[in-house]
Amino acid sequence: MDPTTAMYVAQGLHGLAYGMLLFLVASGLTMVFGMMGILNIAHASFFMLAAYFSYQVLAFTGSFWLALLLAPVAAALVGVLCERFLLRRTHAFGHLGELILTVGISLVILEGVKVFWGTESLPIHVPPLLEGRLALGGLDYPIYRLFVIGLALVVLGVLAAVLYTTRLGMVVRAAVSDAGMVNALGINVPLLFMFVFGMGTWLAGVAGVAIAPILTVFPGLADQMGMDAFVVVVTGGLGSLWGAFLVSLILGELNSYGVQFVSQLAPVLMFLFMAIVLAIKPMGLFGERE
Amino acid sequence: MTRRAVRWLAGVAALAVLLAYPSLFGIYFTNSFVTFGIFALYAVSFNLLLGFTGLLSFGHAMFFGAGGYGTALALTHLKGLPLLPALALGVAAALALGVLLAPLMVRISGTAFAMLHLAFGQLMYVLALKLRTITGGEDGIGGFPIPPFSVPGVLSVDMKTPANFYYFAVAVLGFSVFALWFVTKTPFGCVMVGVRDNPNRVAYLGFRVPHTKAVVYLLAAGSAGVAGSVFAMFQNLVSADGALHVFVSFAPVQLTMIGGVGSFFGPILGSAIFGVISELTSRYTERVELVSGAILILVIMYAPLGVIGMWHAARARARARFAPRGAAEPAR
Repeated sequence: MDPTTAMYVAQGLHGLAYGMLLFLVASGLTMVFGMMGILNIAHASFFMLAAYFSYQVLAFTGSFWLALLLAPVAAALVGVLCERFLLRRTHAFGHLGELILTVGISLVILEGVKVFWGTESLPIHVPPLLEGRLALGGLDYPIYRLFVIGLALVVLGVLAAVLYTTRLGMVVRAAVSDAGMVNALGINVPLLFMFVFGMGTWLAGVAGVAIAPILTVFPGLADQMGMDAFVVVVTGGLGSLWGAFLVSLILGELNSYGVQFVSQLAPVLMFLFMAIVLAIKPMGLFGERE
Repeated sequence: MTRRAVRWLAGVAALAVLLAYPSLFGIYFTNSFVTFGIFALYAVSFNLLLGFTGLLSFGHAMFFGAGGYGTALALTHLKGLPLLPALALGVAAALALGVLLAPLMVRISGTAFAMLHLAFGQLMYVLALKLRTITGGEDGIGGFPIPPFSVPGVLSVDMKTPANFYYFAVAVLGFSVFALWFVTKTPFGCVMVGVRDNPNRVAYLGFRVPHTKAVVYLLAAGSAGVAGSVFAMFQNLVSADGALHVFVSFAPVQLTMIGGVGSFFGPILGSAIFGVISELTSRYTERVELVSGAILILVIMYAPLGVIGMWHAARARARARFAPRGAAEPAR
């Protein structure tokens, strides 16, 4: 492979890795939207929180694998507590109240993180197994990014298996498309929603831990990922997992090649893509309702 | 004394305090008051959308920023531009942005409205950072001349003195708030509230819902532009982080929710309360946002109508308690 092709392939793999992580974040966001009708502004904050938790676990135990296991669970636990004790109680005041509540949660998490860990960026070291680069037919690619792609594929495989082959997954999918009807059939929708919210924050948490060694951990970590995840969910169609998957991959590549060719305007490309899709299909690619 | 006379006296007293404020409290609190006034108008313009028309925006900062950048660019590039035209150019920039977005925004509401504003607000923020040749990137635009307030041949008041700028800012901001208050009291204001409560019925009554929304949208955009323009001149600086950041979009959400979303004066009260809180907390911690975020959560959880809502509820309870016997007590 000549160096130019190798560079394009490397950029494509970068985009794939980012797109995969983006989907991990966006999938939880779109499922929560499907069930409750609001976009959780604090969703990316849990993503960042998991990255900080992984730094802390790593500082205590020195094991990246343990951090990968524990940090997303801890973030999901915080998410479930927020759902149970904050979000559920404001449900009666309608969507606007819930939206504003998630703004409050995101502010508290952002500032709380600064209080506990400070504002400088904290490095995360990966185990020796994942360090270094892989030389493959002229292509020289960091092993850790390949690991991220593999990890995301495994997590998504498990997610798809749970959602599409189990009874629980069937109920969740039904609740995402019509929560009222599922409730009428005698299923405890608030409990189910707590589960979905926890699962969504766990997925975001996995992405947060996975991205931490690449970008380091700092308070602005959630900014780009949060915005990108919103664009994915809105463009893919609110509540649609397939739409989110497709748009995540497109945005990942758009970002990666955009930075290479029009570096200054890469963020604008993303909004341009969203504007074009929404102009043609106002409900998003696979969306059916507002 | 009649109620009317009491009101007049209160009005005159308030005006006297406003006039004497700079000499009474000194430069620091004079500047604090200007900041309060700017954010009060900004929050009122936001509440015109949320409280009166039922449209939640997470990108209101783009109008605030457009006003600021408009004025800053005009003062930088047009030599000898007087004060009021500079203000007007800032407002025109905000209005132009509003005109551009209105055709899309009047057709949506609810979550989509909030999210599209978040997205466009972020787009403006990114553009302000990236178009360095125009906006100065991260440094923003600063050090532009602040022209004196002048009537040709009659007087010329230097605006670099804090007290003089205070009078100018209070006059401009006060007039804008009064104008918005007046609009809510007109028949058009009733149609706005109707659009919030039941758009179908308003349409059925023969009012055009999208047109109504467009007018409210432009009013909100223009008055946020006034606030942003005054802010830019007050700071003699406008930057992406200071005027277009997503926190600047969240600020009026907080101010409005704390004060009371259903009331016109709620956002102003919220700005005052918030100003006092951040003044007090900043003495103990740099993380003012942590406190304000926690307050936002508490308000949504326990007092969704804000301080004004709490006051109304307390008054209703007091009335029920002190009502004549037999009238309020339930039959046993």
